[in-house]
Amino acid sequence: MVERLRRVTVQVRGGRGGGAGVLWCSDGPRSHWIITNAHVARGPRAGLVLPDGRFLYAEVRATDPQRDLAALSVPAAGLPAADIGDSGGIRVGELVLAVGNPWGLVGAVAAGIVHAVGPIYACNRPSCIQADVRLAPGNSGGPLADARGRVIGINSMVAGGLALAIPSNEVERFLRGLGRQCGDATEAA
Amino acid sequence: MQRASSENPGESAGALLALSNDLAGAVERAGRAVVAIYARPRVPSSGILWRPDVVVAADHTIKRDEEITVTLPDGRSVPASLAGRDLSTDLAVLKLQNADLPAAEIGDTASLRVGHLVLALGRSGGNSLGASLGVISTLSGAWRTWRGGHIDQFVRLDLAIYTGFSGSALVDASGRVVGLNTSGLARGMALAIPTSTVNRVAEELLVKGHIARGYLGLGMQPVVLSHALQKKLGLPSNSALIIVSVEPDGPAEKAGALIGDVLVALDGTPVSDTDDVQAKLGREYIGKELTASILRGGAVAELVIQVGERPRKDK
Repeated sequence: MVERLRRVTVQVRGGRGGGAGVLWCSDGPRSHWIITNAHVARGPRAGLVLPDGRFLYAEVRATDPQRDLAALSVPAAGLPAADIGDSGGIRVGELVLAVGNPWGLVGAVAAGIVHAVGPIYACNRPSCIQADVRLAPGNSGGPLADARGRVIGINSMVAGGLALAIPSNEVERFLRGLGRQCGDATEAA
Repeated sequence: MQRASSENPGESAGALLALSNDLAGAVERAGRAVVAIYARPRVPSSGILWRPDVVVAADHTIKRDEEITVTLPDGRSVPASLAGRDLSTDLAVLKLQNADLPAAEIGDTASLRVGHLVLALGRSGGNSLGASLGVISTLSGAWRTWRGGHIDQFVRLDLAIYTGFSGSALVDASGRVVGLNTSGLARGMALAIPTSTVNRVAEELLVKGHIARGYLGLGMQPVVLSHALQKKLGLPSNSALIIVSVEPDGPAEKAGALIGDVLVALDGTPVSDTDDVQAKLGREYIGKELTASILRGGAVAELVIQVGERPRKDK
């Protein structure tokens, strides 16, 4: 399961230090969407290191600083896509895994549980996943997955020792707002 | 080979999923008895519905005696009155008005083993339930807090006690409450107060409003005795307690204790540390006369001290 998650987690070298990103879905045969944090992908372009070591430049297609989300695309075919879970069904106490590059340690895994969901004190956004899992700079933009290995959130920051993640449903909404829906484009093509 | 490697991950993922669901189930069950307490500025703290109208909390999080409100698991906010508090065990008891909710399912802390998975369940950030996961890190026997409180079992946790998580419930894998978590007893260390201690203290607080404790009115610190003196007095240890302060009109002053006296035995038991004295100050000793053996000017003398009741700070 961790192996599967690692295969869809990339290193993003955008702003200072960089972070992680998730190979979210394919958008036609020659393009792939990558989701990361807005604070990770600051410029018009960002460097990506794929799990197989390939280096690519990605175009930053849209950022939403409010949600702390950024959508990047790369003109590459045959990339794997993450198994996306429904963040609406998350229960407090369930196991979660986070994959990222904390302090530059590529592909590091952290395990914990969901601490709280919904409108949360420490999180200014309307919806957040708060997780009892130890993260560090470099985890930003990386996946938070459930016990099935499905991505239920994008890790965004650490507050009071707790990880805050943007729910996957919020990411899907962000992508729909861009007029992109995973799968649709492929079918149309 | 190929088949084996493709089967095993499936099996382990199934076990992981089952564990994940069990944990979420335990949170749901125990969370019905976890409340948020508003009794200090800024961040609220957590508490456990010990009985349908009684909440137990960590004493150090209760900063005011009045205008305390409690947010119940169903979202209602109700007024609460402080029924009693005990600094020495860091426990406080609140009585709720118009609340008749199912109380926590209380388990036995003694059933825990080092390495058992446990959850801390609090309700601090807003009113939403919060959980943290870890293991029992250390278990040992009864101990005494630095303020003299007697706790039935030492339970150290390897989990995060987040802001507002003092007073949260320690929950075992089956969803039963097996302790009350606090970071206020040992310099921020995550500890749990066993259910038997919570039961005993809560009972007494509900009846009397405070925990009665014996009192001598002495400040003491350990000193090292010379080997010759230890031998002459036949003491098991070369440590005794020198009296560094005597409360005016306290039981010890009335018995004639002076600053500089060295306490070597109390009630016939040699004392080498203040813990040995605390052991003679349980509520059952209040009113009793204890013989104190002291060294004064190199000679042994005996004082008879009638144990008083410790004056309460909040009065």
